[in-house]
Parts: sequence; structure tokens; C-alpha cells
Amino acid sequence: MDFLLQGFLHGFVLLFTGNSETYSAIWTTVGASTLSMIGSLTIGIPLGFLLGYKIFPGKKILRTIVDTLLSFPTVVIGLLVYALLTRHGPLGGTGLLFSIPGIAMGQTILGLPIIIAMTATAVEALDKRLPMTLITLGANQRQILWATVLEARYSIMLAAVAAYGRIVSEVGISMMVGGNIKWHTRTITTAIALETGKGEFAMGIALGMVLLAVALTVNILASGLKKKAIK
Amino acid sequence: MNTPIISLYNVRQRYSERTVLAVDRLDIEPGSIIGLAGPNGSGKSTLLRLLAFLEAPASGTLTFMGNPASCKSNQIHRQITLLVQEPYLLKRSVHANVAYGLKVRGESDIMAKVNHALELVGLPPDKFSCRQWFELSGGESQRVALAARLVLRPKVLLMDEPTASLDGQSATMIRQAALAARKEYGASLVIASHDMAWLNAACDQIIHLENGKISGTH
Repeated sequence: MDFLLQGFLHGFVLLFTGNSETYSAIWTTVGASTLSMIGSLTIGIPLGFLLGYKIFPGKKILRTIVDTLLSFPTVVIGLLVYALLTRHGPLGGTGLLFSIPGIAMGQTILGLPIIIAMTATAVEALDKRLPMTLITLGANQRQILWATVLEARYSIMLAAVAAYGRIVSEVGISMMVGGNIKWHTRTITTAIALETGKGEFAMGIALGMVLLAVALTVNILASGLKKKAIK
Repeated sequence: MNTPIISLYNVRQRYSERTVLAVDRLDIEPGSIIGLAGPNGSGKSTLLRLLAFLEAPASGTLTFMGNPASCKSNQIHRQITLLVQEPYLLKRSVHANVAYGLKVRGESDIMAKVNHALELVGLPPDKFSCRQWFELSGGESQRVALAARLVLRPKVLLMDEPTASLDGQSATMIRQAALAARKEYGASLVIASHDMAWLNAACDQIIHLENGKISGTH
């Protein structure tokens, strides 16, 4: 038990003294997750909106595929993105393997089904009186689409929070595509895995506390948004 | 003689091959108040949706200002508005709800217009403007929805059972505000209601509907 207690104390010291290796992993995580969230939201919200708003042939099949992708294992995404970015892969010339944008690419694929599925559900769940209300208030087609997105805003934000929670805590993509390179692509989760393997619990615990803080924030945000979304 | 704002000629509306409305001729004259009476399922709401250009008739002609018109015309939707029995409020503040129609039209002086509309429906702006949609009672929501339509100064205001589920005070405010629309800017009103006392007191003409057909007028 002593080593655990010491690990916690040392973890706090690392966090509060601004240990550069610890903060390098934190900033790498922030960078990769920010890029991947931008990617997931930019692609996912319009696709999710179309999936929820429009009626077209094959919609049910597409919806089933998106729902299935919600449980896409991160190591499989890591494998696919690695295969794409490796020297002999189709995107080998981009030099994205073992880089933060490379990790973000994989994490974007991880976040996309969450954003698409939850946005589609949010749009489908909107009150059926909304389109008629907007028409009778004089909105044109473009204004109706925009107002519909705004009506679903809390549920879309909830989707973003859920996707962020999944992205920030994944380890498979970061390990395989990022390569866990110290000062470069080592993220919080890959650092925890490595340091624990080395028996260096302090940094693992310090980074674990950061992840837990993120998880707590995500849950508080999600809880608030859920309440607003169902009002 | 003025051109009717809306006219229906030999209009039939069918849902799943069943004819739910058959009207040979109906004109909505400028500044008139028309009441629609009749039992549930008699076609009042269907007629209102046609008059609001929300749906096209299965057959017959629907004209706006004397010209055949499309249900996809945004210009017509900006001159005719419909208030339903249980209106939907946007997930925004009262002010934003009332201001929405003005904003989509790119109008100016929104604050003053919204405040005036709220006063018309008996909701003091200083007390209600900042309230959120979920902080309103049923009667207040209905009055906000009416304010959101009155502020647009429509040529025709259609109302489908606007007071059916309201308490006495809210119902009175709705009735007074609706009549103010004609007094202030000459709007035509079409009111579907079971409240015959109100229809008799307020309307220039009452149309009785039964099984989708006009069974009488007075």
C-alpha cells in the first residue's frame, strides 16, 4: 500500500511543480483531441443532420452501419489508420504516421459515429410541429435548416461531449498511430500504459488524475446538457 | 370591391383516398373576421392548413390576392400565419421566440415591436422577455405564440382552437389580442372554435362545417 500512497503524493508533486514530461503528455493529448474534435464535428454534424432530417432509400441500412461503428475497437481503427499512413500505404507520402495529426485522424474516425448517430437521433426526436411553426413564421428553407440545428443544439453538444470522452480516453489509436514517442506523440493514456509497465506509478497516477478530472468534467457537462435537451 | 386575400374554388382535400374537405367557394376578404364552427373531425383544421398554404389541395384552386399560388411560396407564408391549439415554442427566451419572425424577415427596431406585441397579449415585457420557454405555463406559452404572430402584422391570422385548453384569463387575453390585430392593422382573422359565444360576438360571418362540407353560414 505504501507505494500507492507514495505514488499519489509524487503524482501531485509532478502536477503542481509543472513536471515537463507530464505536461508534454497532457499537451499532446489536448492537441490531438482538439484536432480530432474539429474533424469529427465538422464532418459528423452535417452527416448526422442529413441522416436524421432526410428520408432516402437505404437510410435504415446506413443507420445500422453507423450504430455498429459506435463500438468500433480502437485498436482496429489504429490498425487501419496505420495501414493507410505507413510508407507503403496509400497515404504513406503524407508523413502523418507517428505524428499528432496522424493520431487525430484515427481519433476523428473514432468520434465520427458518435457524432453522426447522436446528431441524427437528436434531429429525429425534434417536435413534429417545428417545421410547420417555422414555415408559418415566415422562415425560408435555409432558415428552417439552421433553426432546426439550433433546436437540437443541446443534444448535439451532448454528442460532442460523449465523443470527447471516448477520444480523450482511448489508447489503441494513440499507441499504434502515434508510436508513443516521448516529447512528441506520447499522450496521457499511452504514458500511463508505459509508466505503469516500468513500475513508475507516480507519473501514471498524476496523468490518471488528469484523465479522471476530464471524465468528471465531461459527466457534469453531459448531465447538464441532458437536462436542457429534454426540456 | 376589394380582391379577396385568399379564395378557394372547388377545393377537395383527400387523405388516403378519403375526402376530408370539399369546399366549392370561400373568400377571405381583407379585414374580415370569419368563424369556423363544427364538431371535431368536420374539417376545420384541414381548411385552416389549406388557407395557411401549408398543404396543397388534392384538387381545386387556391388563390392568393387573386392569383393561383403555391404552397412553397415563402412570400405568401410571410403574409399569412397560423396559431394552433398547442403551439410549439422554440427553445429560446420569450423575446427570441417573438422576435424570430422579424429576424428572418430582416426587420429593424425589433425590441420595440416585440415589447408592443407582448403588451398586446398581456405579458409585461420587463417580466417575461427574458424568461425561457420552459418557464412558461400553458396559457403564457399560447400568448407568447400569439405575440410571435401578431408582431409580424400578417394580412391573415388563422387560429385553430386558440383558447380551447386555456383558463378564463388567458382565453380573454387571446380574444382581445386577436381582435386588436384587426383594429391596429386591418388583419383578416379566421377563427376555428367551439366557443360559439365568442364567434357570435366577434365574427362578421360564421361558417358551419360538417363532414368536410359547408353546411351553413350566417
